[in-house]
Amino acid sequence: MKTIKKYIKIGLLHFVAFTFLCNSCDNFVEVELPDSQLTAPDIFEEMATANAAMTSIYSKIRDSGLLTGSPNGLSHQLGNYTDELEYYGSSQNVTIDFYNNALSASNNDLRGLWSATYNQIYATNAILYGAENSTKLSMDNRDQLRGEALFVRALLHFYLVNLYGDIPYIINTDYTQNSTVSRLATLSVYTAIKADLVEAIALLPENYLNSNRVRPNKLTARALLARLNLYAGMWDDAANEASAILNTNLYVWEDNIDHVFLKESLSTIWQLSPAQSDNNTEEGSTFIFTSGPPPMSALNSNLVGAFPLGDLRRTHWIGEVTNGTNTWYHPNKYKHTLTEGGSQEYSILFRLAEQYLIRAEARAHLGDLTGAKEDLNKVRNRAGLPNTAAQSATDIITDILEERRFEFFTELGHRFFDLKRTNQLTNILSVSKPYWNDTDSLLPIPASELLLNPNLAPQNPGY
Amino acid sequence: MKKIKIIKAFGIFVHALIFGVCLYGTAARANNTSIVEKIQQQTLQVSGTITDANGALLGVSITVKGKPSGAVSGLNGKYTIEVASKDILVFSFLGYKMVEIPVNNQTIINIQLEEDTTQLKEVIVNAGYYSVKDKERTGSIARITAKNIETQPVTNVLATMQGRMAGVNITQTTGMPGGGFAIQIRGQNSLRSTGNDPLYVIDGIPYSSEAIGSSSTSTVLAGLTSPLNSINPDQIESIEILKDADATAIYGSRGANGVVLITTKKGKVGKTRFTGNYTTGLGSVTRFMDLMNTEQYLAMRREAYGNDGVTVYPRNAYDLNGAWDQNRYTDWQKALIGGTAEITNMNASIMGGSAQTQFLLSGNFSKQTNVYPGDFRYKKGNVQLNVNHGSENKKFHILFSGGYTAQDNNQPYFDLTRESRLLAPNAPELYDAEGNLNWQNNTFTNPLRNLNGNYSALTYDLLANAVLSYQLMNSLEIKTTFGFSDLRHEESSTAPSTLYNPAYGIGSDNSVLFLNNANRQTWIVEPQLNWNKTLGKANISLLAGGTFQNKTGTQLVHQALGFPSNSMIYNLAAASNVTITQNDGSVYRYQAFFGRANLNWDDRYIINLTGRRDGSSRFGPGKQFATFGALGVAWLFSNEKIVKDNKILSFGKLRFSYGSTGNDQIGDYQYLDTYSTTGIAYEGIVGMEPSRLYNSKFGWETNKKLEIALETGFLNDRIFFTAAWYNNRSSNQLVGVPLPGTTGFSSIQANLEATVENRGLELTLRAINFQGKDFSWSTQFNFSASKNKLIAFPGLEGSTYRNQFVVGQPLNIVKVFQFKGVNPETGIYQFEDFNGDGIVSETDDKQTVKDLNPQFFGGIQNQLKYKQFQLDFLFQFVKQENYNAIRTFSMPGTRNNQLAETANHWQNVGDNAPNQVYSVSNSTIRNAYFQYTESTASISDASFIRLKNVALYYDVPTKWPKDIQCRLSIQGQNLLTITKYMGADPEFKIYDYLPPLRLFSAGAQFTF
Repeated sequence: MKTIKKYIKIGLLHFVAFTFLCNSCDNFVEVELPDSQLTAPDIFEEMATANAAMTSIYSKIRDSGLLTGSPNGLSHQLGNYTDELEYYGSSQNVTIDFYNNALSASNNDLRGLWSATYNQIYATNAILYGAENSTKLSMDNRDQLRGEALFVRALLHFYLVNLYGDIPYIINTDYTQNSTVSRLATLSVYTAIKADLVEAIALLPENYLNSNRVRPNKLTARALLARLNLYAGMWDDAANEASAILNTNLYVWEDNIDHVFLKESLSTIWQLSPAQSDNNTEEGSTFIFTSGPPPMSALNSNLVGAFPLGDLRRTHWIGEVTNGTNTWYHPNKYKHTLTEGGSQEYSILFRLAEQYLIRAEARAHLGDLTGAKEDLNKVRNRAGLPNTAAQSATDIITDILEERRFEFFTELGHRFFDLKRTNQLTNILSVSKPYWNDTDSLLPIPASELLLNPNLAPQNPGY
Repeated sequence: MKKIKIIKAFGIFVHALIFGVCLYGTAARANNTSIVEKIQQQTLQVSGTITDANGALLGVSITVKGKPSGAVSGLNGKYTIEVASKDILVFSFLGYKMVEIPVNNQTIINIQLEEDTTQLKEVIVNAGYYSVKDKERTGSIARITAKNIETQPVTNVLATMQGRMAGVNITQTTGMPGGGFAIQIRGQNSLRSTGNDPLYVIDGIPYSSEAIGSSSTSTVLAGLTSPLNSINPDQIESIEILKDADATAIYGSRGANGVVLITTKKGKVGKTRFTGNYTTGLGSVTRFMDLMNTEQYLAMRREAYGNDGVTVYPRNAYDLNGAWDQNRYTDWQKALIGGTAEITNMNASIMGGSAQTQFLLSGNFSKQTNVYPGDFRYKKGNVQLNVNHGSENKKFHILFSGGYTAQDNNQPYFDLTRESRLLAPNAPELYDAEGNLNWQNNTFTNPLRNLNGNYSALTYDLLANAVLSYQLMNSLEIKTTFGFSDLRHEESSTAPSTLYNPAYGIGSDNSVLFLNNANRQTWIVEPQLNWNKTLGKANISLLAGGTFQNKTGTQLVHQALGFPSNSMIYNLAAASNVTITQNDGSVYRYQAFFGRANLNWDDRYIINLTGRRDGSSRFGPGKQFATFGALGVAWLFSNEKIVKDNKILSFGKLRFSYGSTGNDQIGDYQYLDTYSTTGIAYEGIVGMEPSRLYNSKFGWETNKKLEIALETGFLNDRIFFTAAWYNNRSSNQLVGVPLPGTTGFSSIQANLEATVENRGLELTLRAINFQGKDFSWSTQFNFSASKNKLIAFPGLEGSTYRNQFVVGQPLNIVKVFQFKGVNPETGIYQFEDFNGDGIVSETDDKQTVKDLNPQFFGGIQNQLKYKQFQLDFLFQFVKQENYNAIRTFSMPGTRNNQLAETANHWQNVGDNAPNQVYSVSNSTIRNAYFQYTESTASISDASFIRLKNVALYYDVPTKWPKDIQCRLSIQGQNLLTITKYMGADPEFKIYDYLPPLRLFSAGAQFTF
């Protein structure tokens, strides 16, 4: 009797287990998405999530790739590559290769710079695709997203083409195409960037989405277009685009040199919001040091010595550190390190002074010398310098380039790009940089990229 | 504080057990002493005949328990021995059960010894869903038992298997306590480097070996933290490794890379027994590199600047420009990784039970410090309970095992090994006069800054399982296995402001804490039916069952920045900014039906059929299910009449198996097109980013395995030899196809029509070389040679894999430049220009193929016994090539130390030197140097023979009451390494991590 009872009990136990499990057999192996993921079409159902996808691109730009203010970005690396910075840090870092003009195509950090940038470009293309195919988003929202994505895509390609020469222009998310893509001639890249910018200008709104200017507007795209035209020697277009910006009352010239890099500055065209609300900039942490010798990079003493007497930038934008016997200098445009001092500064990508100097240079080339001097003096006067003494177009242009050196030092590689577009790289750098070669005007395409996609061959000369 | 409490509790628990043991011992002794006194001393001569089922046994050793006297049975199994009336005779013979018989005034003791089923071919082997007698198995199963595991002073289960099993290649990835091991069973099947792990099954419950660490916290380990450290070697009864199709097909989609079955110790019938064990020892790094001294180093630096035409040493050349003392010399390897680690291990257990119920309760506590300066340690505590109960009528059985393990690992933020090799030998002192870290006026990036940061990991692992079975009829059994596991892992790493040169002026507002919390819960239910019947000469076994498994995992990674003071760095509430950088959840579901049919005809012919239909949530709709199966046959030719009574050949079996298994180790949700949260904010909005490139069409990777093996025993199985040949092919390879950066990602998940073949030969030999009264000697040898080959890869040339793989070559190859020595004219390294275009380029001239797989490996294990002494030692050998020390260093002339032999370099035109001219930054020389590190020169012989393990035991003669046994031991691990390797230790997966340690330990064990 006892055995039978047990028999039944065991049987029952197994029966329950079996039926319970078999009832759920059919869809047992189908699982729900985890909370941390959304499908791509769902992202573009709502502006809130689509916005999160867009702003994630800006935070990537802020934290990695070419435009970051961290030591891996162009502000620091190209500063060392040219005559702006001197490197004191670890010999394990790729920065020493920038400093010695000894970049290698096999360097992993260089590969990271390249891949991070194309990953950002992928994200812009994903936005373009998502916004175009969205059925739920309003027309305004879709235009906003597409405008921003096109602008960012243009911006990133602009830096790539000026660093690497001919590059692939990536306009979709299709990996089958993008893994075998070829390099596009520099001129065609410029044309593609221009086309993207023109479309972005049409789509983007005149005003900023919010007061702190951390999302690009129509004029931000025009600011890049002005720069593009300057680099391409399209003086008329450059002057016109710059004028479009200088003529609005959205931007106000900042007379106080100490206020230029504050986050509230109305001379800022586009800046990047920090990750934390009480943070400052990566640039601050990269450049500022408090005792010497410097742990990483310091301003080149030749640059410091070259500032004209009385130039306020020498005293206000450069910090000094001494240990009694030696003195070192650091960029002090951003006066706070990332986490110190509460939120005061954002990383600025476009500011008004550049537009004045673009128009000045364009006007000088076009023969409008009075206008050119007027624009140049605007920048000089703020730095406490008198009006330029230059009279001829050539002298004015020389003065403008010198002014750019003092105004934009350690900002996003302006020095390198200015020397490059005016064909002076070797002239000037071979004097101060013992390892400088002609071929250093282009960075190497990462060797692994050439291996994975032979259509990118040939490697840039010298590597 | 919580962590300390829990770990402490284990220490207390183990101590309590040991204390209990002592108390019990005192009581037992008191009792026994009184018995002893009552018995009179009286001498007798005892004689008799010893037989087994087949007749007289020669060479059986007869000893008197606790006394030195003894005898051996002669011809016809006869023996005589002088004893006292109260003595106990012990009869022992290898391959037979030991028997103890009290004399009690008898003068004739005849005895029939029983063959010991726990030895040799009578062993019952765990095959997962079923067990099989070793001699009747049709599949390929390797096995080690507690006897081999207990001899080793290690804490990781994979360490115990190294060198002991044919076809199983295990590499220690770091000597850091709590670090991991890499395992490969019969070679690399998958093109994915992460898709080659075997399936681990503990007492029937699959145990996920996927990493639980996070790249932001597991900074000090060579890889992410592995959960396998939770398994406690002390509690393992046996480890079986299933290798061929016959053994693994019943694990279907998860069997492609082999299955590791771990069985924990169980209670046994008999009187309650206590065992206590205490081991303590020391560890140090096995090998160092031979580096330049200050004189050689500074000479190199000066010459390099001279060659570059630099006359004024730059400001950052601190080693030369006067900032650093040029007469200092420090052996940085000694200073940074040359310390001594201390290891302590104690465990205790209580075991016993009646015929119906048995139990085992055990506890373990171990602690290991590391070789760095500073106070770092790894602690592990564990309890395990096992209860086994059968009903009176023996029809119903329940078995329960539950174990709980806690680990606490505390290490520096970063491994010091690389810096210990690169640091200039005249770099300044580590500490200044006040005992603070010396930054030498900001010129010295002090390596000990890394000790200011901390890696800390707490892992709690609960594993429980129950097996209920009921004998429905004589031949039919119903059984269900339930398993549950709960893993909680809290890992943190701190990067306080003191990691950085004070010149940055960084304060605690820049200190960072990373936290990684990973949880993993699994449940599994496996109902099964077993039917077994003998019909005439045929024995038939049938098995049918199902699996339902659910695994959920969550991972939460925090980053906290800015603290009022570095002493508050572990307090999240004190941080000025807390960001959640990862909050992931995943669900993995797995469902299967499996079966087995086995026919054994007259113990001569055996056919074994196994199959499984698997469904997995890791694949997209329509791709979730697949079927796998295998056939195994065996012919026991030694049971054929012609050879049955052969005196020499005692056992012979030929077996064959063929079948398919699969692999679904690809991670969850890979088939979906999704966006994931980045955890990083912009303007207060947390971003969403594309998770991956999208492909929903990938399916199962299949692996077809073929094996033919011969197993033979000679001279009553005193010599046992097996040879197995296998050929496995994996196709439909599921891979992350590498893509150029222009696609936005580095890879995409897809099936490739590529086929990979692994074939090889495995030999094992077991021999009892000598068996005498006092002395015995046995040897076990295993040898594996394997060839891995990419058989087919349609479209390889046009694919992104063309630089990584070559058809006809192994997967684990590298394509490198062919090094051609130093040009005597220019002093610069030369390489073969394969396409003859006058330029040595990465794209065209990396043509020389180097194979980094081991060509063969194995081990020789010896056991010597003399009276109360037992000596075990194991030599492990590996024949392979691997990256050498060249990969560690940077260009000779830069501010990094070099191998001493680099001093032999080119200086003048016409010099024939192995190393090129020194330079700090000449771009031509630098370029040649980069190519050198990617050339044949950087890969060289990394073969080694290692005295992996030595254990010497001494059984203390029991002057004490007879049932207290005491065993003393001395053990060593990695004692001696014979190698020509250029570099530190030849055993590594990623270079420049702390090499494996050499350990010495001594221990004592009490049982009663």
